[in-house]
Amino acid sequence: MPADPRARAEITCTGLGKVFAGGIRAVAPLDLTLAAGHTTALIGPSGCGKSTLLRLIAGLEEPTQGQVRLAGLTPAEQRRRAAISIAFQDPSLLPWLTVRGNVALARKLARQAPDPALVDGLIGLVGLGGFADTRPAALSGGMRQRAAMARALVTEPEILLLDEPFGAVDELTRQQLARDLPPLWQPRGTTAVLVTHSIHEAAMLADRIIVLSPRPARIVADIAVPLERPRGPALADDPAFRQILADASAALALGDAGSPPLAAQ
Amino acid sequence: MTRQAAFAPALAGSAFLLAGWSLLAAATADSQLIAGPVEVIAWIADNPGLIGRALAVTLRNAAAGFALGNLAAILLAAVALAWPRSLNLISGLALVVFCLPLIATGPVLRVLMGPGEGPQIALAALAVYYTTLIPLLTGLRAMPAAWLDLVHSYGRGRLAELVHVRARAALPYLFAGLQIAAPAAFLGAMVGEFTGAERGMGVLTIRFMRAMDATALWAIAALAAAVSMAAYAAIGALARHLSHDRPPVILAPPRPVAGSRAGKALDGAVLILAVLAGWWGAMELLGLDPFFAKRPWDVVAALAWAPDAAATRAALIRATGETALFLLPGYLAGLALGAGLATLLTLRPGLALPIMPVAVALRSIPIVTTAPLIVLFLGRGATGTITLVAVMVFFPTLVACLHGLRQAPGQILDLFRTYAAGSLRQMIHVRIPAMLPALFAAARMSVPAAILAVTVVEWLTTGRGLGSLMALSASTSNYNLLWSAVVVVTVISALCHAAVALLERRVLRVYAPEQLRR
Repeated sequence: MPADPRARAEITCTGLGKVFAGGIRAVAPLDLTLAAGHTTALIGPSGCGKSTLLRLIAGLEEPTQGQVRLAGLTPAEQRRRAAISIAFQDPSLLPWLTVRGNVALARKLARQAPDPALVDGLIGLVGLGGFADTRPAALSGGMRQRAAMARALVTEPEILLLDEPFGAVDELTRQQLARDLPPLWQPRGTTAVLVTHSIHEAAMLADRIIVLSPRPARIVADIAVPLERPRGPALADDPAFRQILADASAALALGDAGSPPLAAQ
Repeated sequence: MTRQAAFAPALAGSAFLLAGWSLLAAATADSQLIAGPVEVIAWIADNPGLIGRALAVTLRNAAAGFALGNLAAILLAAVALAWPRSLNLISGLALVVFCLPLIATGPVLRVLMGPGEGPQIALAALAVYYTTLIPLLTGLRAMPAAWLDLVHSYGRGRLAELVHVRARAALPYLFAGLQIAAPAAFLGAMVGEFTGAERGMGVLTIRFMRAMDATALWAIAALAAAVSMAAYAAIGALARHLSHDRPPVILAPPRPVAGSRAGKALDGAVLILAVLAGWWGAMELLGLDPFFAKRPWDVVAALAWAPDAAATRAALIRATGETALFLLPGYLAGLALGAGLATLLTLRPGLALPIMPVAVALRSIPIVTTAPLIVLFLGRGATGTITLVAVMVFFPTLVACLHGLRQAPGQILDLFRTYAAGSLRQMIHVRIPAMLPALFAAARMSVPAAILAVTVVEWLTTGRGLGSLMALSASTSNYNLLWSAVVVVTVISALCHAAVALLERRVLRVYAPEQLRR
């Protein structure tokens, strides 16, 4: 797919906080700017509020404090422009549609013209070429994740939100997906946010890692990942890569100990 | 499932039924109470015109009621979806109308609508709309939240939700409801005909019951069963053709819109007001004669301060007591037998081969149409009535419980096997707890069915209880008593239903909390 210079959206969270009914505070008020065209990974312990933060960015949850702006517009306005795509932890494919039907559905929902060539092309790119007419029930977990990724990408989104999209697959498939999928959105200048609890996955995929504390989510560390792309298994021996893993790991441990945040809030 | 595989259980069930029926008839040949399949077929062959005309009339009325009732259910579900705040009111009103005793609504409708086919169609519609509405309300919400989030993430609203996700996800639930509705519509039309129609299977039933013509009664019951089973199978086949998912057997209770205690009390008050206003408004709008079309305050007066209020109250209390005496043992026996047999069939799967097809076949029969036969066989006393109520409750419970027992999580069963725990311990610690939600769903949905069964038997045969009181007051034009009895039966039915639903929610909170989630 050719790079599209228009497809660059900065994500700005200002004083953003979320308290659920019953008084559970999921996200402490935080300020955060995610640069356009970059991939940012949010990592933190389970239940720390990182998925809530992602849902606030998508506008699927209303903040109780502060606001989110995506290239200056509200999430609702961006969704109406079909600028956002989201891939959930569970692939959430509709069981009555085939892989092709599920991928094409996203274009329908986004009110985009049907594009069978793009749909089939993406299904091929995620490695499901022979399974376009198969229903989700007949696919393995990893294949469903790939189909869900194809669905998220088929609308050519400006903002791509990934909520542990490789959470339910085995390590080998995980590594494959982490290697194969970023080239599908990064050259287009898509702004991507990846929620994960894997430091390794974050360092492989992202330009920047934000480490969150246990609930309510506060920013514990903000780590740049200035590594060349494409990133392959060879990175494991790169001292810079290992330093990033060590920094993120230390930040996670610090956050877990309830220490004061290291980076800007 | 292949076409052959889908039809095999139905065929096997029919074969088992026919064989059992023939054996029973042969064994009791001296009593002349049970006519076997050969006699029944011979009787039908001798009276093709009579039975054919009656069947055509009843089928037409049942089909009209089926269409109207299901249309109403779909419209109500659409309103509840478009305006979620109305969900509590709609499901509450629907329940109240469902709890109206068909056999009292019958005479009332007969008086209101005259001698034509109106009451039969209206009763058939009333018999089906609830069993379609409840699965539909559940099905329109039975989906992972992420499917709806997907729609929202593209900035689309409730209409796109409905078109792309909810309508399709609700399809198996709709078909499950329609399948139950098919025999119910036939039953409703027949009960409508009991109340003084000119033609139809119900009219013939009454006539042959008075003449004690066992062969003719068996022929009618067999035809009613065959028609219902055919409709049940046809809808099942259509469902398999249109939807790849298996229709769900067990249904969670309609989930009330969350709210505070004060909000719930307000909802209750709004519901009672809506029922009273609807009742009064319908009477006034149709300009119905207050002599037979009683208004809410007429019933209050008849029960509280009319000159014969004490006598009315006494008659109602006595009849309620008599009805409860048959209802409770029958209801509890039906639940216990259904759950017990399901447990046995799970422990000894070999037994399921002969029993399950019969259960599946009998589930589709409008059991109340066999009431005259059961009473003929077991007598007019308590045994016949209690048996009928138990049978009415037994089949839905058996099917739901078998489904529930299969829901036991495989990994937990594996864990038990790891410790070499036997099938009895697996049953007690894993399968029965997994079955409880299904048992309580069946118990809840069976309440109005059990009350219908007991009142129909009382009305047709025993001459005691609320059913008989309603029949008697209709025939003596004591409309104050009739309407009071309708109110009493409806309130009892709704209260029992609410009590079981409350118990069910407590059980679900422990054993299946995911069913209570929105």
